[in-house]
Amino acid sequence: MAATEIELTPDQRLALETELRTLADDEFVIAERYTEWQVHAPTLESDLALANIAQDELGHARLWYDLLEELGYDETDLLWERDPDTFRHATLSELPFPEGEWADAIVRSYLFDVAEGLRLEALEDSAYPAIADRVGKIQREEGYHTEHAENWLERLATDDEGGDHLQAAVDRLFPHALALFVPAEPVPFGAETVSGDGAGSQYTDADALPDAATVEETIVSEGYRSDSLATLGERWLDRVVPTLESHGLRTPVPADGEITDELVPDACGRNGNHTDDWDTLYADFTHTYRELGREDATMIMDRPE
Amino acid sequence: MTSETQPETDATPCGYTEYREGPAIDDLPATGVGATGVDAAVWDALYAVEDPEMPVSIVDLGLIYDVGVDDGLARVDMTLTYSGCPARDMLQNDVREAIQAVDGVEDVDINLVWSPEWSVELVTEAGKENLRDFGLSV
Repeated sequence: MAATEIELTPDQRLALETELRTLADDEFVIAERYTEWQVHAPTLESDLALANIAQDELGHARLWYDLLEELGYDETDLLWERDPDTFRHATLSELPFPEGEWADAIVRSYLFDVAEGLRLEALEDSAYPAIADRVGKIQREEGYHTEHAENWLERLATDDEGGDHLQAAVDRLFPHALALFVPAEPVPFGAETVSGDGAGSQYTDADALPDAATVEETIVSEGYRSDSLATLGERWLDRVVPTLESHGLRTPVPADGEITDELVPDACGRNGNHTDDWDTLYADFTHTYRELGREDATMIMDRPE
Repeated sequence: MTSETQPETDATPCGYTEYREGPAIDDLPATGVGATGVDAAVWDALYAVEDPEMPVSIVDLGLIYDVGVDDGLARVDMTLTYSGCPARDMLQNDVREAIQAVDGVEDVDINLVWSPEWSVELVTEAGKENLRDFGLSV
């Protein structure tokens, strides 16, 4: 049964959309970056591994975007003609890889996939059935991502040069990984998804939206996600910090384990502020669409009514 | 799936809420056995649709979760082996065309479901034979 048949209050819908946008955008954008490795990976094996991981993440992005489509959007609204400022992925996904830095791909994948695993666990019993129904499928396809990253972490950490490259990647990426746990600023409802001045029409105006913390509270209180991002962030730190330290890597987390806002970059993505590299990436992945003068995403078949 | 045939009177309500997408795993694979009339014709049409990569019917591959025809509207619940399947649109198109050709069907409604998630356990014995002939070890 389509999710649209569930009656949602505007606040419920806003909470759902916000959660879905972060899930979908994280996956889509990191996949766009991973695919860059298909011409640069150090071995054919690595090339295949990252290409596969990228394909998985694109598949997962599609599963989440599907649910936004059930709320009235289409692929054009969600990707090809979307205002780049309304993407809500954490900046970890969008940063370019420094040339040839395989260690960056490994550290990034490790930080991202551990976070994703924890996030999915918190969605297993989502009160929004269509979310819960997708989690098992995604988890089944995710297991090897973390395994792949951990395996490479271990290999790279065995010599000094590899360790230096890993450390540089941790220094660069860790703050942007913390962004994964920042509550996202909500995005106004698309005018095309709301009928006239009916329910939700007030939220087509950005100024009328509640703040990120309020929306995050709704996501948890409605049971769309069982744990807060703050709780997930603590679990993530408990897992990644000891692992990185076991490989001789330092993190910016102070000895008392206290994460302060100063550790998170101003441009963290979730708040709508992105790095300049995002503009370039957005221009790249929408290039063909614009060059061909498209007005909608081309489908083999018409979408069912 | 148990080999015992359960009398229909033993049917119990689905454990999921009405909003959950998929059937219970014990009811899968759905193969259309026992279907009659237009339903049976729809199943026959689905048997003729092959996976784009392997010579096996999508029914024997276990992708079809439920079929029902009601007043000319054929509804199909189906899944895909892989979330990133590049043939998603193509496969749905094949299914739609196959079913639309069935006498007594006017419209087709395809519902992609992801739970229970597909696994090789859902491949029928006939499907496993096809896959073995193709060179896969299942």
